[in-house]
Amino acid sequence: MLLEERDYFTDRVVLKDPYDYFAELFSKDPIYQPGLRDVMFVTGFEEANAILRNAQDFSSVIAVTGAAVPLPFKPAGDDISEQLEHHRHEVPGSEILVTYDGPRHTADRALLTSLFVPSRLKANQAYMEELAEKTVRDVVARGKCELIQDVAVPYVTLVIADLLGVPADDRDSFKEVIAAGPPPGNIDAEERPHSDSILEHLARHFVGYVQDRRAHPRADVLTQLANAKYPDGTTPELSAIVGVAVFLFAAGQDTSAKLIGNCLRFLTEDKALQQQLREDRGQVAGFIEEVLRLQGSTKVTFRVARRKTKVAGREIAAGQKIVIALSAANRDPRRWEEPNEFTLGRKKIQEHLAFGRGAHTCIGAPLARAEVKILLDRLLYHTSDISLSVEKHGPPENRRLEYEASFIIRGLENLHLELKPGIGANS
Amino acid sequence: MPRLMVVTRSGEERSFEANPSSSVMEAIRDSGIDEIAAICGGCCSCATCHVHVDPAYVAKLPLRSEDEYSLLHGSQSFKDNSRLSCQIRVADAAEGLKVTIVPEE
Repeated sequence: MLLEERDYFTDRVVLKDPYDYFAELFSKDPIYQPGLRDVMFVTGFEEANAILRNAQDFSSVIAVTGAAVPLPFKPAGDDISEQLEHHRHEVPGSEILVTYDGPRHTADRALLTSLFVPSRLKANQAYMEELAEKTVRDVVARGKCELIQDVAVPYVTLVIADLLGVPADDRDSFKEVIAAGPPPGNIDAEERPHSDSILEHLARHFVGYVQDRRAHPRADVLTQLANAKYPDGTTPELSAIVGVAVFLFAAGQDTSAKLIGNCLRFLTEDKALQQQLREDRGQVAGFIEEVLRLQGSTKVTFRVARRKTKVAGREIAAGQKIVIALSAANRDPRRWEEPNEFTLGRKKIQEHLAFGRGAHTCIGAPLARAEVKILLDRLLYHTSDISLSVEKHGPPENRRLEYEASFIIRGLENLHLELKPGIGANS
Repeated sequence: MPRLMVVTRSGEERSFEANPSSSVMEAIRDSGIDEIAAICGGCCSCATCHVHVDPAYVAKLPLRSEDEYSLLHGSQSFKDNSRLSCQIRVADAAEGLKVTIVPEE
């Protein structure tokens, strides 16, 4: 099928390998509009950076629903800022932090920044280590696991619950509700169901926590969150606090769990690399960065041009919807040598765009890096070999891997592993 | 709105009005100066928004946290007046605060 005939938002071939599709778009132009939809794709590193860092000319209001859904108004003129603000509440997902713009975004985001500073993560680290150790010991003892549902989803859910200070008694219910939900950006639109009910479930709990901690402060993270102030010193509404807390669950679970899956797929397909990391676990952090570059969990993000503007010399009309292909920018040959090769120790690897850039840079990135590193460390320590199940995924030359049916998320639906115990198993 | 003065890597001095509820990093980025990567997005985790604060203003700012100090200390450009611009609120900065973006590492 020709490039122009493929629809990024629904095509199963593109779902399986978005990188070839993006490379084809890039070879046309790093900013290119294929025929089917009124959507511009940005696949170049510099171009993506320029848009992500320019929150004046580009709005995030469509960041959740994507560029596939029409705007609730017909853009008129060279500056649609007023129209956009007037209709903002009609855009699906516009109550979620990733879609906010300007001062409201800055203020609400500031409520969360103290949760992700290094000292807070350090306080969270003992819990992550203990949980990773227990989780890995259990699956190594069984000799096999389905990584995504048995390990990754419960692990990342419990870690964020601990970070936010969710009481231990409530964590299991959070785990169950989240495990049952679909990721964002489902390509089968009519099957897009119940993610709202997950958020409602979480929101009910957080309303209770915040009310309780405002009335009865304790020395815990929920108290800190409940009493967080905006940068101008004012107190946020209860709903704003609940909103950002729930958002952390919604935004951080699928992406982190899928990153764990993508990491393990690399490790199982390259046994020399697996052994190299097992012998020197100090290289795990660098390994994760290269996986983020090559197969980050977020393929794309979305913006809409507020004003008529230019990016890299190309004119962009007000109201233009844009797909920023983060995973294409991460393979831009002008920025990365041999971009499709897995190479440990690339210079300035952390500049990849897997976590975005600019005002909406993933606030949970430090947590994702820390939690995935700890889990991989324990997996490598407790095993002598990790392999994909041939029964479930086929032989190496003919693997069957199912990717989550999402135009946003890049990740495996399931990954069946076989684990051989290693030196650490009985220690 | 308070004014900030920023010295870019090429030595150019740029002065602009900044939103008091943003951080100095956000204000520099929103002014169109494109030299601050801020790859962690402003949560004191990466040191890519490192600036030198004009000595006349250092004592007028709230102190660095331990997190901020330990990140800055690992930088080749570390000096006594080093700050992460994401950790300075514009509202806390004295009028005319002057910062210099440190060389790229």
